[in-house]
Amino acid sequence: MIRQSWWKILGVLLLVYTFIAGLMMPLKPGIIQVSPGSLHAGEAVELVVRGYNSSYAKAGKENMRAWLKMDDENILAASKVQVLGNRDLKVFFNLPAYLPSKDSSGSFSLILDHPADGAAVLPNAVFITQDSIDPAKAGSAWKSGRFENLSEHPGKTFPFRNILKESIRNQYFHVPLWFAMMFLFLFSLIHSIKYLRKGDPDADLRVVSLNQAGMIYGLLGVVTGALWAKHTWGAYWSWDTKQNMTAICLLIYAAYFVLRGAFQDDERKARLSAIYNIFAFAAMIPLLFVIPRMTDSLHPGAGGNPAFGGDDLDNTMRMVFYPAGVGWTLLGFWVASIVYRIRALEFKWLDR
Amino acid sequence: MNFFAQVGILLRKELLLEWRNGYAISGILLYVLSTVFVVYVSFFQGVSPMVWNTLYWVMVLFATTNAVVKSFVQENGARQLYYYQLADPTAVLVAKILYNILLLFALSVLTWLAFGFITNNPVQHLEKFLLAIFLGSLGFSILFTFVSALSAKADNNAALLPVLSFPLVLPIIMTLVKISVSALGAIRDSSLGKDIGILIGIDLGLFALALVLFPFLWRD
Repeated sequence: MIRQSWWKILGVLLLVYTFIAGLMMPLKPGIIQVSPGSLHAGEAVELVVRGYNSSYAKAGKENMRAWLKMDDENILAASKVQVLGNRDLKVFFNLPAYLPSKDSSGSFSLILDHPADGAAVLPNAVFITQDSIDPAKAGSAWKSGRFENLSEHPGKTFPFRNILKESIRNQYFHVPLWFAMMFLFLFSLIHSIKYLRKGDPDADLRVVSLNQAGMIYGLLGVVTGALWAKHTWGAYWSWDTKQNMTAICLLIYAAYFVLRGAFQDDERKARLSAIYNIFAFAAMIPLLFVIPRMTDSLHPGAGGNPAFGGDDLDNTMRMVFYPAGVGWTLLGFWVASIVYRIRALEFKWLDR
Repeated sequence: MNFFAQVGILLRKELLLEWRNGYAISGILLYVLSTVFVVYVSFFQGVSPMVWNTLYWVMVLFATTNAVVKSFVQENGARQLYYYQLADPTAVLVAKILYNILLLFALSVLTWLAFGFITNNPVQHLEKFLLAIFLGSLGFSILFTFVSALSAKADNNAALLPVLSFPLVLPIIMTLVKISVSALGAIRDSSLGKDIGILIGIDLGLFALALVLFPFLWRD
């Protein structure tokens, strides 16, 4: 299969598609900022809203609807909306004197809806405080809003997330790189077992090449992850469980190359490093799949964070994410096959 | 002679060798005592239970490296080959693992006594702590014995054992630290049973793998 080129072309085409679709497709219109952020109950307030990718002017103010939402029961509709530009908006609310809550304050989400952009939400947009608490008196005042026939954005877009923003596109690089790395290491494991059974030096060359490609992918995975972490969690490295496990995992495979350097004899080198490779893969499984699931993590799918899948990976993203996974994997195997061919030539002609 | 009888005899051989040599075990003893003292002198302000726990496992880890590194090095290659002809090679490995479990358990208890005596003894639940020590010696012994067999084949093997085994031992260390922290009563750990399960799972997995892979390892 190494000499055939259809899968390399397929991999490159998928990656070209990933880069074009993954980087060019716009984000769904969203809300970046609302000011002032803290309000007082019983006042008539004016909120200045800053949108992202939005086209408020196109929609016109008669189609524009806005709400402040506490929970599904308590929603307040805006009294007036004033459009200043495509990305700027003024929303007016007459806040009732009492909040529908037993606390002296609460945080509310702002929801906008109009046909040009579809619905947009900013969670915890404003913080409202009240002087005296009486949920009973709040009663009907907070029932003015109803979400009815919310509009959909007409075009294809990626979801807008307040923390991720444009960095949501890293989903097509960071995550598939890990998948591809796992595949590379899995195949190197298979070739290690093959080597121990058959003693064919060719299998050993494949193991080294696959491990080298896997290491490159692992490093790229760490780098893309660190950049993403800087933008979303605030630091390149935040001692997150998965980050630590990854670092350990890369250390294990780095030790594999150290071990290879410790032997003069080719047969011994191949055999013992195959044994270590099998041992390393077995040790990697609890590192990557068991321990991170047991401890808290900032990553999605752990420590109470939602897994990437539900809301964050919608159908539009899947259209890019799955091809990206296949594309990166195929590219990884191509890299490994080139390394393998170089090593095979060296083995044959340079006697090393 | 069946497998278990072979293991028994080989284990007896290891113990006898250690007993008659005397040198190795007293060396490790002294190593433990001096490490404990170095730590004590460096932390003259006293240590909190969490720090005690960390330091304890770091000391045990390094003592383990020193204790196990000689497993396959102390006897030369020709004599090793002689054993493999006399007995099942896997029995040789199992005997060494069993011997190292005993050695590491003694070493961990000793480190605990010495460190507890010099600083203070924060252990609240003795049975949990002994369980942690036992599971720790089990895992360390399996992993380090196997990797030392591997690194003994290399040309300069002194530095190879820590390089190869430390990354592999990290999952074991992490779960051990969690179990022993709850034995110190420093935090209440609700997932203790799960941690013990994971540790036993890792230990069993590594043991099975070591048994499967050793036949490929010893033959040159």
